Formats: sequence, C-alpha cells, structure tokens
Amino acid sequence: MPEQKIIVNAGGFDFEFEKDKIAKFEIVNNKDENFSFLYENQNIKGNIISADNKKYIIELDGERFPVQIKNELDQVLDQMGLNKPKTTKINAIKAPMPGLVIEICVTEGQEIIENDKVLILEAMKMENVIKIPHEAVVKKILVKTGQAVEKGQTLIELA
Amino acid sequence: MKKILVANRGEIALRIMRSIKKMGIKTVAVYSEPDRNAMHVRFADEAVCLGEAASSQSYLNMDKIIDFATKLGVDGIHPGYGFLSENAIFAEKVTKAGITFIGPEPASITLMGSKLAAKDCVKQYDIPMVPGTDQAITDIPEAQKIAASIGFPILIKASAGGGGKGMRVVEKAEDFVEQMDRAISEAKSAFGDGSVFIEKYVGSPRHIEVQVLGDKHGNIVHLFERECSIQRRHQKVIEEAPSGILTEEKRQKIGEAAVKVAKSCNYVGAGTVEFLLDENLDFYFLEMNTRLQVEHPVTEFITGIDLVEEQIKIARGEKLSFSQEDLKINGHAVELRVYAEDPLNDFLPSIGTITKYEKPSGEGVRLDDAYEEGMDIPIYYDPMIAKLVTFGKDRATAIQKMKEAIAAYKIEGFATTLPFGLFVMDHEAFQTANFDTHFVKKYFSKEQAQAWQKGKARKAALMALAHWNANKDTLKTINIENRNWKKR
Repeated sequence: MPEQKIIVNAGGFDFEFEKDKIAKFEIVNNKDENFSFLYENQNIKGNIISADNKKYIIELDGERFPVQIKNELDQVLDQMGLNKPKTTKINAIKAPMPGLVIEICVTEGQEIIENDKVLILEAMKMENVIKIPHEAVVKKILVKTGQAVEKGQTLIELA
Repeated sequence: MKKILVANRGEIALRIMRSIKKMGIKTVAVYSEPDRNAMHVRFADEAVCLGEAASSQSYLNMDKIIDFATKLGVDGIHPGYGFLSENAIFAEKVTKAGITFIGPEPASITLMGSKLAAKDCVKQYDIPMVPGTDQAITDIPEAQKIAASIGFPILIKASAGGGGKGMRVVEKAEDFVEQMDRAISEAKSAFGDGSVFIEKYVGSPRHIEVQVLGDKHGNIVHLFERECSIQRRHQKVIEEAPSGILTEEKRQKIGEAAVKVAKSCNYVGAGTVEFLLDENLDFYFLEMNTRLQVEHPVTEFITGIDLVEEQIKIARGEKLSFSQEDLKINGHAVELRVYAEDPLNDFLPSIGTITKYEKPSGEGVRLDDAYEEGMDIPIYYDPMIAKLVTFGKDRATAIQKMKEAIAAYKIEGFATTLPFGLFVMDHEAFQTANFDTHFVKKYFSKEQAQAWQKGKARKAALMALAHWNANKDTLKTINIENRNWKKR
C-alpha cells in the first residue's frame, strides 16, 4: 500500500508531506496570538490570520501566505477535475496599464501556447512582458509598435 | 524667505515641506492632474495644478512653474531630486525671475553634469580616478606599457562600445597582447572603429558616496560617507551610513577628497560626491550629484543635521553654523527604498491600488512616504512608494530594527521590495559588510529568489498543517482581522 500523502499548496508552491509524520506535529499558541511550532529543532513563529477548514492565511515576518491543505479525498477530486475552478478563457489581451508598445512578438494567425510572450509594454520607464495565460490563436493585432495605449485598451484579439 | 515652492511630488516634496514649515516659512505645492489628492498637495499652504500627468506637461514644465511662483509671490524654489533638480537652465531661469534657487550655481550643475568635464576639472586637485588611458589607443606596444604601469587585472573597453559590448578583462600580463588583438578586431567588426581604452579593472566594486555642504562664503564641509552598493538595474535599493568597512583613516581621506571636488566647482548647497571603492579600500572619483539625494536621511540620522534646513539657510546666505571638527558620527542608519516592484520577478513594476497600509513606528524608525490606503500608484512617475530608515547605536542594532520595521510595515495590493529588504538584512554577506555592487547578481538571481520564497512558503505550509492537525477534529474557525483589538 502506498504511503498516504498530504499535499499543501502555500504561496503558489506545492509541498508533499507524509501523513503519519504530520500526526506528531505540535503547535503552541502564545498569549500574544502568535503561534510557535518546532520543526527539525527550528522554531517556526508566525501568525494565523485566518483558518477556514483547510484554507489558511499564514503570516511570517509580516508576509502573508495563502495555504490550501489537500487530503486524500481532495487529491482524488483534483484528479477527476471536480475541484478545478472553471478557468475562463480570454478572447482578447487588454493593456494592464497605460504604456507604450515596444515590441509585438506574434503575428496574426499564429498559434500560441500558455506563457508565450505576446507583447512588450513600457511603463514607468521599464519594459513589461505580456504573456498569454492559455493556448489560443492570434486573430487580430490592433496596435502598432511605438503606439501609446490606455489601461484596458484591447491590444490583441484571440480566437 | 517667506514662501518656498517645492517643484516636486511624492515623499520628497512632503519631506522638504516639513522642514520648511518647521522653519516658519509658507509652502507652495505643484501637482499634475492625477496627483490632485496626493499628500504633498494636501499638506501645503498653497497649491497649483501644472497640467496633465506626463512629466513634460507638469513637473518638468519650467516656465509654468516659474510663472506660478512669480504670481504667488514665492521667494525660493526647492527642486527636490529628479525632475528639474540638476537642470542648469531651470536654475538660471529661476534666478532671472528674481527667485532664489535652493541649490548650487547653474555653472556648477553644468560642469558636474558632464562626466568628462568633471574629471578634467578635479584632476588638478589630485583626486584619485580609476587609472587608465584618457584617450583611445590602437598601438599595442604602447598599450602594453600603460597596462604594465596600471597593474593587472585590467579592463579593455571599446571606445565606441556600450552596455558591456567590446569589454574584456585581462587577468595577467602574458595574455595582454592576445586579448588586445581580439578586442581591437571585435571593436572593428562591431562598431567599425578599433580604438579602445584601457583602465584598471575593479572586480569587487562598492559604491561609496560622501555628503557635502557648502555655503556662499566659501566654507565646505563633508558629512561622512554613505554605502550604496546594494543595487538592482544599477539603481540603489539599500543604503547605510556610515560604511561598514571604511577605516577611520580612509574615512578622513575620502571626506577630504570630496571636499576638494566640491571646491573645484565652487559648490554651494548640499551635494554628493560618488566614489568607487575597490577590495583594497582604494577609492576613485566617479561623479558629483548636484542635488539632495534620495538616501540623505541616513546621513541626517548619524549627524543629527537636517539637510533641507541647511539647504535653505545656505540659500538665504547664512554661514554654516558648524565646522568640520564639530561633525561627529553617532550610531548607524540603514535605509530601504520601498518600490512597487516584484523582487521575485526581476524587480519588474507591480502596480495597483494600496488595499492595506499599516506603517511601522517606534524609536529609531523613520518613514518618508506619501501614500495612504486606497491610493493608486501612478504609472507616470518613479515606482518608489517610501523610504524606510532605521537607526541604532551600532550597525547590528540598526539592522535588527530594520527587520522589525519591515515585518510591521504592511502594504497590500501589489508586490514591493519589502521582502527583498528582509532577505538582505538576513544575509550573511550584508551582516558582515562583505558585499559589493554584484550582490543581487550573486545572491538574488531569479532562481535563487524563487528558492528562497519557496523555503518561506514551506514554513507557512508546515505551520498551517500543524494547526490543522491539532484542530481538525474540532473545526474551529479563526479570523483575527475581525477581532476588536485589531480594529483599534
């Protein structure tokens, strides 16, 4: 029988822990609302900002991390695709900020995949790469290199 | 002076106005349309709108600023840093309009604004500069002689090059001829011009600068050094005063050199002389900044002197009220520039609305900021939100205070350089003052930054697991933010 695992997503990273090890974890609640927890002799100190079933917000040194704990059932649901939030597909790329179009990295009709560079936009004297969140086909390019664009302006239509 | 206009925005406009007000002088703010609700506008006694968002239409519009100043009966203009602060034409126009420019003479600005002219000017004062040829060279035997006299390692630079292109480091004399050959042919094919410069290669450069103050009566003093080597994109992020490595003897020498540079251009007001420091603590003149620097608060902390107040007194024609001997270093100060940038993503801008804003406070903590909860970070200007400065009796105390202040400073809505500040404060190289301008490249590449972030996330994961494990049978819900004590 395979070992039982708990998967925890914290701040966008996935971590795997063995279930029987977790059973030994002990946490101490200090008077000042801070929690303390010994792990491999290290004292991990932090604040639990919110805890809702398996969803947490943990604060360490002032920085907040969203945490999602997934037990075996959640993992099975994940695999079946039931727990996945419906990803909405976008049909156009809009300017996230006002700026200047420095470079257009695609051509009309091109097939692009997740994380492909689409466009470089300059704002605050810095270049920002605009990427595509999922695969798509470039339908129409509505801007030109060197053009100033407003926030929310449609730059590229997708199909 | 009865009324001073501050030709700037953001934290620096606010910081300058505070000193002006303290001196019993009226303040005038200028602003662009999107800055109508900015804190510097609300703080000032009077305020005028300059125009549209773009700097060229607002904060850089000299004639408009001077026009308004004349109409409002302003008798002094403080330019802050950036924008018009090192613009000799502006300084000239202000003076011609019968208003005092709070800064140096236009001639000093022009002279120090040109790197070549500045080096030429300070040469006669025996200021150390990075040794090398001051003219392009193609003659190999001649170059070999010069290289030997400079000492290895040396750097060969294409005179037409830029951005690291056509640069070659030569470690030892035997390699020189071959490397020179290749550098010349490379320069020829890349730029159509084979001439090169040779200079000493500084492998582990630190950026050290010295604050100077000069009055209109010929007195010039220095207010010790600032260490500004922690940079990204060649821009400073963390500064401190004094430097963690200068010896008392070097401190005195670099200070004297800075005063000589200021004298060479008859400097009046607050200025900064920048030096490059190598691993042997030898320093070389880089350039002079003819304005108040972003990082001036660290100097204010260790000397107890309000630099803006001094600038105004100097502009009024007063003599400096202290001599070099009166100035002493007391304690240590560290500054973190809080930028709206994502340190985990190559420090790219990360802008938006401030959804939560809680300031750190306490003894030895100074926050120069100009934002509040609910405000947007405008994209038109510099992405710096605030300067967090801490002070302690020694370097370790100042660093510890900075760590606590960072943890207490809550900015939500976008990524900032606050976590990077904590990374640096916790880093052994910083704690032992053993770092140079390559710090980010060496220790905080995108991969290293990601791994560091993952380490913290793992701790958060463990903490949540421990809590969940202890409470999973009782299903308790926590929401600290809804508790009364948090609402204060």
